[in-house]
Amino acid sequence: MHKLISYTTLSIGTLCVLFCFPTLAAVTEYHVQLKDHLFFPSLITIPANQKVKLIIENQDNTPEEFDSFSLNREKVIFANQKATIFIGPLKPGEYDFFGEYNPHTARGMVIVEHQQEPLNVN
Amino acid sequence: MKAISRVSIALFYCLFSASLSWADGIPVDKVYHPYVLANERELEWRFTSRQNDDGNVLAQRFAYGHAVSEYLTIEGYIVGERDEHGDFGLQAYEIETRWMLTDQGELWADWGILFELEKQHKEDVYEFTSGLLFEKEFTQTSLTINALLVYEWGKDIQNEFETEFRLKYRYRYLPALQPSIEIYTGEDFVGVGPGFMGIHRYEGQKQLKWELAFIAGLNGDSKDHTLRFALEYEF
Repeated sequence: MHKLISYTTLSIGTLCVLFCFPTLAAVTEYHVQLKDHLFFPSLITIPANQKVKLIIENQDNTPEEFDSFSLNREKVIFANQKATIFIGPLKPGEYDFFGEYNPHTARGMVIVEHQQEPLNVN
Repeated sequence: MKAISRVSIALFYCLFSASLSWADGIPVDKVYHPYVLANERELEWRFTSRQNDDGNVLAQRFAYGHAVSEYLTIEGYIVGERDEHGDFGLQAYEIETRWMLTDQGELWADWGILFELEKQHKEDVYEFTSGLLFEKEFTQTSLTINALLVYEWGKDIQNEFETEFRLKYRYRYLPALQPSIEIYTGEDFVGVGPGFMGIHRYEGQKQLKWELAFIAGLNGDSKDHTLRFALEYEF
């Protein structure tokens, strides 16, 4: 069993090295503003099965906490600062999020859609 | 790139620790997530009861934790245990720090590091634990692994290195109910069993987390069961 754990650890390490580097490739960025405790835009459409980066700029003078159970993300966005949240790869669907400090106003949704393949015109 | 360098150093450390012997004591405890949330403060209560051929061991931990930055949190513990006479009293105190190495979703998996220093109350026994925390999302499920290296020293104990391994595979069904399978290994112990956790949100950053697991030892003893329960109030 002891060796099994060593091999497991080694395997995780190898997988990490193998899978970390592809993530260095460019990740599409989506910019969102938080102003007067509202997200702009509140609907964000992203492609399915791709990792993307949400850059949220908090223009309010109070902090906010981005929270989403379906996206499995929780992050504090300090007042007048930006925060980066990595999401995906996700299956097509709707994933809601909200601000924990202002849950009635600061609400939004990530819509994940299959991107249409460009037509091959010959 | 910075995150990958931090993870690489942590992995080498983990590989070193995996070649050492197992830890003793109650190996069933919390499976740590590698995440830290800025501004977070928490009060925690953990309860662990192990029943095996040698009798019952009962331990409780009370803790207060505070995130000191976006990536680092510090927690202090008071540990109580029931002794051989059946009396429950102060057993140890502990300070713990967790460092989130990567942002959630930044790399293929999420990584963190844990450090703990524990001193037994009535004995000259110290314990320093360090370990690697790993979590990977697979759609609606999450795999969390802790690989820990423990060093014990003092006048009342033989100095030695030990290791512990904890694993939790969780289905994020609903915030209030997330069933899981947990696996633990330690000195002469391999245990597996079902676990459950849930979160109830209050206003703002306030929330109550609960965890429950029932772990059966697979060591060959006729009886070896551990029940663990934890409540965490974050504010």
